[in-house]
Amino acid sequence: MSLRIAITVGDPRGIGPEIVEKVLQDPPPGADFVVLGPDDIVARYQVPGIGVGKMVSGGGQLQSAGELTGRAVEQAARMAMDGEIQAMVTGPAEKRALHAAGFEYPGHTEWLAALAGGVDVAMMLAAEGLRVVLVTTHIPLSQVLQDLTVERIVRVGRITRQALGDWFGIPDARLAVCAVNPHAGEGGLFGDEDDTVLAPAAAQLDAAGPLPADTVFLKASRGEFHAVLAPYHDVGMTAIKMVSFGKGVNVTLGLPFVRTSPDHGTAFDIAGRGIADPASMRKAVELAIELAARGTHATAPGD
Amino acid sequence: MIAVTMGDPGGIGPEVVAGAIVHAAAGREARFVVFGDGAALDRAAAAMRVADGWEACVGRAAEPGGVVVIDEQAPAAATPPEPTEVGGRASMRWVEQAIEAALRPAGDADRADAVVTGPISKQAWAMAGFGRFPGHTELFAQRCGSKRWAMMLVSPRLRVILATTHVPLLAVGSHLTTARVLETIELGTQACVRLGVASPRVAVCGLNPHAGEGGLLGDEDDHLIAPAIAAAAEQGIRASGPHPADTIFGAAVRGRHDLVVAMYHDQGLIPVKLLARDEAVNLTVGLPIVRTSPDHGTAYDIAGQGKADPGSMIAAIELALTLAPSSAADY
Repeated sequence: MSLRIAITVGDPRGIGPEIVEKVLQDPPPGADFVVLGPDDIVARYQVPGIGVGKMVSGGGQLQSAGELTGRAVEQAARMAMDGEIQAMVTGPAEKRALHAAGFEYPGHTEWLAALAGGVDVAMMLAAEGLRVVLVTTHIPLSQVLQDLTVERIVRVGRITRQALGDWFGIPDARLAVCAVNPHAGEGGLFGDEDDTVLAPAAAQLDAAGPLPADTVFLKASRGEFHAVLAPYHDVGMTAIKMVSFGKGVNVTLGLPFVRTSPDHGTAFDIAGRGIADPASMRKAVELAIELAARGTHATAPGD
Repeated sequence: MIAVTMGDPGGIGPEVVAGAIVHAAAGREARFVVFGDGAALDRAAAAMRVADGWEACVGRAAEPGGVVVIDEQAPAAATPPEPTEVGGRASMRWVEQAIEAALRPAGDADRADAVVTGPISKQAWAMAGFGRFPGHTELFAQRCGSKRWAMMLVSPRLRVILATTHVPLLAVGSHLTTARVLETIELGTQACVRLGVASPRVAVCGLNPHAGEGGLLGDEDDHLIAPAIAAAAEQGIRASGPHPADTIFGAAVRGRHDLVVAMYHDQGLIPVKLLARDEAVNLTVGLPIVRTSPDHGTAYDIAGQGKADPGSMIAAIELALTLAPSSAADY
């Protein structure tokens, strides 16, 4: 079966349409593509497009941008659930616009989990040599320790292990849990959550750790671990962006279909100037093809 | 004269100290005084395959490039590769001796112009009854009577200074005030000037994901950090932010900023260690003395095997040598 992959262009005002265009000028092999976005934008591409409406100008622009972004994502998710496509790649969206249009989710990850019927998902950042999965995502730092429970870490770890086996072809993956306090709490001197919460979770997962945040990512990037579970957004994101050189990919784990995206935002400041770097979008498409090729055997919706 | 402390005797401190001094001392005007255990250093030099070089350094104690080992506090026997009370007590005493040497008046023959510290174990310090000091940095600040200090990481492509250091994540929010962020910006700016960056561009990190995303993900970025940046800018400091932590370090590495102010330990150390591997140096700023150290720990798992990389210790000694001559005038 040949793979079919949907790409949503993201917020029409951002760099999404431009980087999608750059990638499709020389598309990665291994799949057919369909692009979803505003009517006039999808008409520009060399591949089949599905228009989701027209952008309005003037006062309603924010809401209109959000509606077009949202409709494309929802339609692509439906196609994935119906088995018409095997993976979706999403262009960068803006939260403010999505909220203005009534799509009240913290991000694609939570949104797609709801569209897939309320499944448990986790957000992975993948780069050459390093994979990071976030245990908590878009919450204030002051809330991290409330949300970080043994149960939650174990749940995210299990989703990670399953996805590494099914999609990445890594059975029995070596996982590491990144610590939450400096020096992993230094035996309780700098906080006890590493001992009382992260250590039991790591034990249940048969994962290493908790290991100090400033060394665990280096160890993983040298091949000691297949993935690191990061307790909160900035530790995981900072690490991945330091090693990815603009080629990081966001992968949603736990969905019944593959979903990837570039790891950057809409970059309104440089949109429309033709200078946006498509490297991360290209990697996102390549990874979607790789994972879908493996994943269609393991978790095909409708099986 | 550069004072070097050997660090925890069971860790890789002896190996990186011996290895680095043999490397760094050659052709130098400076002399070195090592506060540590002479027998442990001899063993370490052999393990690192620099025994001849080490012996030569110790042999010309009073000459340029020469080394004096002061080991009156050495443990009676070799220390196992783990935190021990005896190791904690000895490594603490060596640091105190080095601080005393650095605080001697200018012109005193035993005065040290800078201190470079080997890696200690905080657990060993706690076992020896020094648990009130979470690390070297806090001990130096206390002994020097410094109220305004900060830990800074200096590597070839990235400089980072921390607004909070060895505090649990839960306590970061309560340690972080506008005054402290401003103080850290000021200390970092002064340090950059001393390192040769005349008018440093200072990027300040946010505390929350996406620097709070306009208040959606926490309000400290707008209410607490932004006012410190504005106050620094009023003084003429080229400060910007608060920037999202996950992108600002990359921008700094690409040359857009000379210094990044991180709000907490792991935020600042992750990028430094991923980028610099073993070239980063820890610099304490705000003290009346120059103090540097390698950015790694005791590494008990490889201690005594000759596998330790002295790169960061070499860089720490080089940075101390760079900063020491100006210290008498500036500090």
